[in-house]
Amino acid sequence: MSLLNHIPKQSADAPLDIAVPMFEDAPLISGNQSFASVTNRIAGVVEGPTPKMWWVLFSFSVSLLMVLVGSVGFLVWEGTGIWGLNNPVGWGWAIVNFVFWVGIGHAGTLISAVLHLFRQKWRTSINRFAEAMTIFAVICALLFPTIHVGRVWVLYWFFPIPNQMSMWPNFRSPLLWDVFAVSIYFTVSLLFWYVGLVPDIATLRDRAKTRAKKIIYGILSLGWRGANRHWRHYELGYLILAGLSTPLVLSVHSVVSTDFATSIVPGWHTTIFPPYFVAGAIFSGFAMVMTLAIIARKAFHMEDFITINHLEKMAKIIMVTGLMVGYAYSMEFFISWYSGNEFEKFAFINRAFGPYAWAYWIMISCNVIIPQMFWSKKLRTNVAVLFVLSIFVNIGMWFERFVIIASSLSRDYLPSSWDYYSPTIWDISTLIGSFGLFFTLFLLFLRFLPMISMAEIKGVLPQANPHHTMYDKPGVAHQSR
Amino acid sequence: MSDKPKPMKFPPKAFQLDPDGENLIDSAHGKSYWRSYDQLANSPEFQTFLENEFPPGTMDLPNKLSRKKFLSLMGASIALAGLTACRRPVEKIIPYVNAPEEIIPGVSKNYASTMPFGTNALGIVVETHEGRPTKIEGNPLHSSSMGSANAFMQASILNLYDPDRSQAPSRKGYEVRWEDFTAFWNEQLTAFDAVAGEGLSLLSSAFASPTLFRLKTEFLSKFPKATWTVFDPVSDERIYQGIELASRQKLQPVHHFESAAIVLSLDSDFLFLDSNNVANSRRFSQARRIMSEKDSMNRLYAVESGFTVTGAMADHRLKVPSAQIMNFTIELAKELQNLGIPVEVDLPTSSLTVGRDHITWIKALAVDLATHKSKSIVLAGYRQPAEVHALVFAINDALRNNGKTITCYHPEHTANSSVTEYQKLVDDLGKGSVKTLVILGGNPAYTANENGEFLKGLNRVEHTIHFTDRENETAQNCEWHLPVSHFMESWGDAVSFDGTLSVIQPMIAPLFDSHSLTEIYSLLSTGELTPGFDLVQSTWREKLISGNFEQVWHHVLHDGVFSGSNYQAVRPALKNKNIFTKSEISEQNLPGLECVFIPSSSLWDGEFSNNSWLMENPDPVTKVAWDNVAVMSHSTAAKYHLKNKEIAKFTADGKSISCPVWILPGQADSTVTFSLGYGRTASGRIGNKVGVNAYKFKPLDSDIRQGVRVTGTGRFQIIACTQDHHGLDADKLAADAIHKRLPAILREASLDEYRLNPGFVKEVVEEPDLFSLWKDKSYDKGFQWGMSVDLNVCTGCNACSIACQSENNIPVVGKDQVERGREMAWIRLDRYFSGDLEDPEMVFQPIACQHCEMAPCEQVCPVTATVHTDEGLNAMVYNRCVGTRYCANNCPYKVRRYNFYNFTKDLPEIVKIAQNPDVTVRFRGVMEKCTFCVQRINQEKLRAKNNHQDLKDGDIVTACQQTCPTDAIVFGNINDPDSRISKLKKQNRDYALLGELNVRPRTTYMAKIRNQNSALNKNHFEKHIQ
Amino acid sequence: MLAEFSDPAALLHGAEKIHCEGYTRFDCHSPFPVHGMDEAMGLTRSPLGYIVFVFGLLGAIGGFFLQTWVHTKAYPLTYAGKPYFSWQAFIIVTFGLMVLAGALSSVLGLFHLSKLPRLFDGLFYSERFAKVSDDGFFISVDVKDPRFDCTETHRFLESIGAINIEVIKSE
Repeated sequence: MSLLNHIPKQSADAPLDIAVPMFEDAPLISGNQSFASVTNRIAGVVEGPTPKMWWVLFSFSVSLLMVLVGSVGFLVWEGTGIWGLNNPVGWGWAIVNFVFWVGIGHAGTLISAVLHLFRQKWRTSINRFAEAMTIFAVICALLFPTIHVGRVWVLYWFFPIPNQMSMWPNFRSPLLWDVFAVSIYFTVSLLFWYVGLVPDIATLRDRAKTRAKKIIYGILSLGWRGANRHWRHYELGYLILAGLSTPLVLSVHSVVSTDFATSIVPGWHTTIFPPYFVAGAIFSGFAMVMTLAIIARKAFHMEDFITINHLEKMAKIIMVTGLMVGYAYSMEFFISWYSGNEFEKFAFINRAFGPYAWAYWIMISCNVIIPQMFWSKKLRTNVAVLFVLSIFVNIGMWFERFVIIASSLSRDYLPSSWDYYSPTIWDISTLIGSFGLFFTLFLLFLRFLPMISMAEIKGVLPQANPHHTMYDKPGVAHQSR
Repeated sequence: MSDKPKPMKFPPKAFQLDPDGENLIDSAHGKSYWRSYDQLANSPEFQTFLENEFPPGTMDLPNKLSRKKFLSLMGASIALAGLTACRRPVEKIIPYVNAPEEIIPGVSKNYASTMPFGTNALGIVVETHEGRPTKIEGNPLHSSSMGSANAFMQASILNLYDPDRSQAPSRKGYEVRWEDFTAFWNEQLTAFDAVAGEGLSLLSSAFASPTLFRLKTEFLSKFPKATWTVFDPVSDERIYQGIELASRQKLQPVHHFESAAIVLSLDSDFLFLDSNNVANSRRFSQARRIMSEKDSMNRLYAVESGFTVTGAMADHRLKVPSAQIMNFTIELAKELQNLGIPVEVDLPTSSLTVGRDHITWIKALAVDLATHKSKSIVLAGYRQPAEVHALVFAINDALRNNGKTITCYHPEHTANSSVTEYQKLVDDLGKGSVKTLVILGGNPAYTANENGEFLKGLNRVEHTIHFTDRENETAQNCEWHLPVSHFMESWGDAVSFDGTLSVIQPMIAPLFDSHSLTEIYSLLSTGELTPGFDLVQSTWREKLISGNFEQVWHHVLHDGVFSGSNYQAVRPALKNKNIFTKSEISEQNLPGLECVFIPSSSLWDGEFSNNSWLMENPDPVTKVAWDNVAVMSHSTAAKYHLKNKEIAKFTADGKSISCPVWILPGQADSTVTFSLGYGRTASGRIGNKVGVNAYKFKPLDSDIRQGVRVTGTGRFQIIACTQDHHGLDADKLAADAIHKRLPAILREASLDEYRLNPGFVKEVVEEPDLFSLWKDKSYDKGFQWGMSVDLNVCTGCNACSIACQSENNIPVVGKDQVERGREMAWIRLDRYFSGDLEDPEMVFQPIACQHCEMAPCEQVCPVTATVHTDEGLNAMVYNRCVGTRYCANNCPYKVRRYNFYNFTKDLPEIVKIAQNPDVTVRFRGVMEKCTFCVQRINQEKLRAKNNHQDLKDGDIVTACQQTCPTDAIVFGNINDPDSRISKLKKQNRDYALLGELNVRPRTTYMAKIRNQNSALNKNHFEKHIQ
Repeated sequence: MLAEFSDPAALLHGAEKIHCEGYTRFDCHSPFPVHGMDEAMGLTRSPLGYIVFVFGLLGAIGGFFLQTWVHTKAYPLTYAGKPYFSWQAFIIVTFGLMVLAGALSSVLGLFHLSKLPRLFDGLFYSERFAKVSDDGFFISVDVKDPRFDCTETHRFLESIGAINIEVIKSE
């Protein structure tokens, strides 16, 4: 909801479209689809032959994934010393990547849950793989805090479970809040996603040709038979999940931000972080959805389902959240000056003009300046532009986290311990590898599960409404078939 | 731990039985396996070593093998050494504190001993665990250490466990037995008996030891024609010459800074690197420490070329090239004469052009000295020529300081180094008139091989015999190499500057097949190996102890000193008016630079170059570790277009040296300072090929080389610096921030300002009224530990960080890791410059964990690995730590250290022996930090409990506090109003670093006060720079 | 007995009629939830909401209790001089556990209420029924229904517009 509350402050026209039901004029689904055509089109992707493009992308992603496996293996073998960390800068790229990936994840839940609550029917075409993206992004996110600790093998001490010391974790530590928030977020997203998948898996089951597929999809679909006595629970359950996910998604990045906000490091110690991180998360999340959506609709010719309108709406959200993030940047500066605290003042001036200025200005240009192009409808509706910009936004958001972490730590209270942080080859390979993990999972999803929710699409087709005009005269229906 | 030695119940049982006798295996020979050999026993390496103990060329392994492999081999060899050689000494040694009947395995015992250092003797107390020394501390009863220890004393324990020490005698590189040598030497003796020692030359390091001196005299009387040369690369020779020049007597001066109000140091680093620095610091701090604005403190003037620790302490510092110190002294003497101080020396005309306002400076100084007759000290560094020391003697004489603040003694049992004799020896070698050369310690091939003459000569000698602890550069060029025991493996004796006699007790039987210097000296004259114990005892029985020998002897062993043995002070008069041969001392403005060579603050003259603790111990001033650099000032670097860390080529008199440049504010212009002791080639795994060998560029007979030309090479070298990582090219942004912060971080005022406004400390930083949103935990019951650091007396000498390293098993991480900012020191010395960039003041601030009551590190640890104890300690639970490093991020003092790798993995077995069994060795991925020496706290609490006593203030002494030569660190129970610590914390100079964060640190600092001469006063809160 | 209908509207009307006829053990099958079907079949609102509420509450209480117990009873340790019981710090984990319990209960509850998973159902014997997840709209009447009579029901279903009726013997 906070999203909606913020919007009027930010932008004049964008929110209106979000708040009121959209597409009075433009049809949700173009190409005059029937139930059967929807099924054939979407399930067909899964059943049909594997496109050559997929193989190219997949082999590329897997090779990146191997890079990740290698880097992590060496890390565990040798120790965190292989990274560029040093004494003042105890957190480096690992935590940057963690925050980055968690942020990516947010858009998925936002699209599927929040827009579901607001009955934004346009979400139906993108929510499925937005959710998938969430889950895969959170997997990547969870990877980093796991491997960045000095002794991975005792990581279970984080959880309130019996251990050889019969000790409990410290529930005061923001890091522990993270553990709970992110892992719960992952669990709930997974449930949400799976519940959404059940009817579609049933479709695949019913259309399955081979025995193996019948069995696998059969088990996964839990014997779903579209019975209305199920639908009535199903719809409510789905609604409740959406209701639970919405505060959760807003809380997760707020909690992540407390890692910094509750510390005493100048530049971290600020109350604006929670909303600012959430906005940033949605910002980067939608950018990533945009990137993936554009790839997917190209690769699988889904232009009818993911229309230019969907992309434009996302572009608007990106611009809005971009403005919010920009507002947060300026507010940080103002407060640090207004507080009159020497350390805080220096932390922010140092950010913009200190040794990390280069990173800071990359961040500003990618997150604040470039999204301004979306003011023009022409650019908003140009797929090529959208694709490039969405990537820029993600670069910018990665740098935001880098700037926050590195610049604040490298110069804090005592000048004697100031030091400059620069990554090693292993930091870089781990980041690249995490993209390998992400895309590998995503491509597998595209190949073996319906990327768009058929049941929901059908639900929003005109003929899905039993009170639709076409059914007024009895018998018409019969002729219509 | 090492509280004052209690008078011993006599006779203690220990005289009859060997301590830890219970685990003797072959007590007939006193052989006791105090550590069982581990799984290595079955490893193939071990077996091969069993068959063939150290095969020739073991020492070359590092070049041929990978480091890991080499270390594993060494490990095996050490395990073997453990088997063959780790015995308790046969002779009885006396527990220092704990009476022997209380021997409990696991409880450490402290023994008194002595560390010979040049011609000085440093009284130490050695903590041993089951017969292996683990920690060195100063002996409070000894006049040259006065209970403190410097970094070298602390680290010398690691030399004992140096795996690169040679482990058996060798001849031409092949291992032999001592018997082979004695046989050979007896032939030599008979041969030389005939010719009364003609053609036999001995070269030894300087020493001050009754027994060694006795043996030397005996040898010379036996072989009158033999020559015995004494030489050290770093020595006080010129001081003695100067005093002799003025007073016609050979004298050893000792300065009593505690009773001096004004001290003038002329190119002398008497607080840090000059001889007797421990006692000097101790005494100086006594006159420096103030308890309130009403107290008076001494005033220190320093005139020096390079920035030294002494210069940092100075209230007024004038940078003058070393070569012009003479001119300065003459100017000063003239000024004093003008003031009617009778400096009865014919002064040559001279001219001096340094500094902006040195004329006013000298005038003010002279007035200050003149008004503090017999309450001042003028001293010059050993680097200065004899004339300067003579003139200084005259000035002190005129100021009636001699006899008051400076006492002189006739040194006995002392053999002083002499360059001229050494040069004569080198000539003889060149002439080929030396048939047999015996080198007793020292490493002339490395330290004194000017133009390669020494080695050239060495080749012309028939037999060369080298006694030393390792196959160093000299040993490699000698026929015989015979291992010398570490002083903690040997019986011996020593005499300190003031004549205090003390005995060197072995703490452990030789780890390798080596013999002590004492035994070797007697071997040389008698041809047979006599136990050192007997040699020392006979000296003392015959010469030193009259009356009940046994009783006195036992007291000497127990206390570590022979009380009342010090010399009678003599009152020398100025006997020579015309010190100066020349009638006109021109201003030494030779073209080019002057290079000054100083002993390294880490490696001394190279003796400690294989000592990893010291190697990684940053220089207090430059903060550079693992390298020596050519230190020069901004303007000098600018003049020759040199950049920081650029490798520059220095050339003079056909010699040249390439060394990275290090730009240091406060360095005298056109003076470049080099540290000696680096660039070793045969030192060991640590010291080899580290830094550059400045001896190659140093004149043999001087520590200053003039007329040096320099050119940049454009190549840069990576320098590991533990502070100030951006160097001085740090952006203006940072410089401004530091300028804003420094006055609050390191609070400082001149004595006048302090007297005017005693509460200035609180006013430096505007603190909001600090309150917390919850009910604070009250720490008003039981012990509440706290620490106070008096910045006014802290000299920044680094002794505390080495003591901490030794006490707490802190790993050494290597140059690469230090360069990445991963050094592990639990207590570091932050160094800041304040004032103007060209002529700043330097201040030091020791920073360890502050044990905040509201420690930010604690609340962020997700696994409860760091929590607060009821006694106010910020406890670190190593085995619970997962290594998120969140605590380190959230520590405003950045004192937490993280084990990025398993730093102790490659530690040779023998070095593990040096570790303190009371402290956990940390694994990789674990955070660590200062614990206020919690192991010591608990030991003392237990001791008190077992003895049904109450814990007294001062019972618990942390390692850093114990070693601090200026007693700047005080630890204790702040809950006890009468404890020293609470009294200190009540003072108006007391402040909490970053107190405005309301973290309530338990460690607080006492502001630095500079006692400035109002005639030269400078405002203190002017521009600060790092 | 399985009757296929042409489209959502027909299915809806069929459902209304068969409900009025007094059939109880019947169900409507559609590829997507059809609007107003619950009313047509005379079904009440799903009780899932209450279940989730209860479990969510339990999760929250449990979580808060756990933390309080850990920090005040099990290990009363001092962190940064803060009180043992600092509820502010416990809120986030409490909230997290509430959401977790809620989410789990809603999914499990959903499956429990709809008696899933049930991998084999008689209906799967019908070939046509495969269309239920594509574009098929069916009404199934259970033989155990008191008003079930093979011919009667067959005729009745035809009368309400079923376009295709088959009898499935699940034995």
